[in-house]
Amino acid sequence: MIEQLIIEGLAIGACYGLFGVAVAIIYKTSDVVNFGQGEMGMISTFVAYHILAQYGLPFWLAFVLTMVFAVLLGVFIEFFFLRPAKDPTVLGLIIITLGAEMLLMGLAGWKWGAEQKDFIFPLSVQKVHEPIPGLVLNEWSMGVFALTALIMVLLFLFFRYSNLGIAMRATQQNQNAAKIMGIKVERVFSFTWGLSSFIGAMAAMFFAARSVLDPNFMMEPFMRAFAAAVLGGLTSIPGVVMGGLILGLIENFFGYVWPVWKPIVAFVVIIIILTIRPSGLFAKHYVKKV
Amino acid sequence: MKGTRSMVFWLLALILVLMLPVQGHAGPPGFDKKEIRIAQWGPQTGPAAPWGSVARGSDLIFRIVNEEGGIHGRTIKYFIRDDQYNPAQTKAVVKELVERRGIFAFVGGVGAPCGMAVKDYLAENKVVWVGPSTAINEYVFPVNPYLFAIYPLYEDEASILTKYAVEKLKAQKIGFFYQNDSYGKSGLEGCKQRLNTYNMSLVEEVSVEPSEKDLSSQMLRLKNSGAEVVFLWVNPTSATIALKTSATIGFKPQWISSDTLSDFPLMNTITGGLWEGVITGGFCLPPDSDHSTIVKYREAAKKYAPEERFGTFYLAGMLFAEPLIDALQRVGPNLSTDAFLDALNSTKDFQGIGPKITWSPDVHQGTDSIQILQCGPGGSSILLQDWVSNDLATWKPK
Repeated sequence: MIEQLIIEGLAIGACYGLFGVAVAIIYKTSDVVNFGQGEMGMISTFVAYHILAQYGLPFWLAFVLTMVFAVLLGVFIEFFFLRPAKDPTVLGLIIITLGAEMLLMGLAGWKWGAEQKDFIFPLSVQKVHEPIPGLVLNEWSMGVFALTALIMVLLFLFFRYSNLGIAMRATQQNQNAAKIMGIKVERVFSFTWGLSSFIGAMAAMFFAARSVLDPNFMMEPFMRAFAAAVLGGLTSIPGVVMGGLILGLIENFFGYVWPVWKPIVAFVVIIIILTIRPSGLFAKHYVKKV
Repeated sequence: MKGTRSMVFWLLALILVLMLPVQGHAGPPGFDKKEIRIAQWGPQTGPAAPWGSVARGSDLIFRIVNEEGGIHGRTIKYFIRDDQYNPAQTKAVVKELVERRGIFAFVGGVGAPCGMAVKDYLAENKVVWVGPSTAINEYVFPVNPYLFAIYPLYEDEASILTKYAVEKLKAQKIGFFYQNDSYGKSGLEGCKQRLNTYNMSLVEEVSVEPSEKDLSSQMLRLKNSGAEVVFLWVNPTSATIALKTSATIGFKPQWISSDTLSDFPLMNTITGGLWEGVITGGFCLPPDSDHSTIVKYREAAKKYAPEERFGTFYLAGMLFAEPLIDALQRVGPNLSTDAFLDALNSTKDFQGIGPKITWSPDVHQGTDSIQILQCGPGGSSILLQDWVSNDLATWKPK
């Protein structure tokens, strides 16, 4: 029983972590928390659903087209919503992301309606394997473990070795210095939003496969993924994933013992941890002197 | 500067004047020689929009009535207002309808919080409300002289379904998975009440918040309890996640749910086929029934609302309007609110597409009966038990 709780906790935690990475990438580059992240993932998942249901294309093709859409959506929002803001404060940009969130939710409700839909996903929660008696593993869980690990490795290589990744890190550390060094900061922001939307869309598809597809389906996962990211440390990508895994485990263990307290216990633990380590468990704590 | 102040003064005065009607007063009468004005609020947009079909279902039945010549020479003029499942919006649209349009009666009305927001206002303005689209004890206990309920109470439904589980399915170990609100707790209460009569108790009871998306720990708890039958008193999304999560951990009990999840085609689709075999209560005949009235409504829907899915909630709108029409017909040409109330209070064993409905001046809960249905292949309905009432219902006059 304990093994099963660990597996289920780690699986949903990996999904929180993956989505938290999408939130963290934008935060790392611009200090902005994108409150429209959940709805960006939701819209992309609806696009995948639309391609599958309306045009009957194979899943892999729908997936590729959706990923292209997700990247363009991220770039579009950065270019048309955030970039035009004159002398923006971080708070102002966050409010813009809230506006984008409401806009995307309204758009989804108008286009696809509020009725719940089933998102057909090749990695089914119903296809289960029992490697050892009593321990059930399903394809969805295996898929989310594999994808999260893959994204982690790719992001590590990207930020460590690619010019663009280094430019993103430089932009986060000091925008003005990055500009002086010849980095086109606006392009870095656009790329960041595209990459974040790309990762968020993949995580959202995993959430939809386990739940139902409707315009609200990403609201709660976003809150938990954001909490996981804060827990792990918003500026540390591995920390965000670890935060997700820890959150998944805490929720499942406490949820098993005290189901009534499940929705809040994780947040109580987060508050306690943040009072001890304000930057999260795995991020370095910087104090700016003025 | 003086001009600006003067403008502000007159603007404020204008706003105050515009606000005056909002204080509430009786509007125009709800009928005249040509028409009777009936209305309903319901979420036509927003997250609860799938339930908006209730209001549109009532529209179909009023169209049929008008096509057949109306009621004693009067046609039904029907108003639908979108409240987006927001009680503040409900208050606003109901006030507008009562005070500007003049409404004789409301029918249906989705949402417990929305209904509670206007229940007293309607009674104060002597506007009759027939068939709220949810079951709440506060609607009917104590008796509200202007409110007539049809929807079976969740305690009654859970009690009947528990009896079925114990006596027909021979279930010994029963678990209960419920939404942490009055809806879920009412079902839990009804189930426990019935189990007490068998000297049994639940092997597990687990609650869930409506917004929770990860239910693995809850399903593991139910699995480890050894429950053979698990009751689901939750919303469609939670039910779907519960079934999908159970599939991931190899947990396959007999699921039994409230009638709120009896839209089999929808539930079967969104669960990816996992809903097949689930047993639910039924508050009206299933949409694929060959009952003559359902056939008539189905044909009318093809004519008047071809774009509408002929589902359970759409039918519910007709179910709630049927006894209202029956009472209007019995009143005769001399219509008045008092005469209409008398007719409603003397409704006895009226049956349309739902259970038998009886109202009296002392009891405004119209029924305690449900059907027991099972989801068949492709979201079809299998009738397991015809209308059955709750012999443990404490509110019924002896």
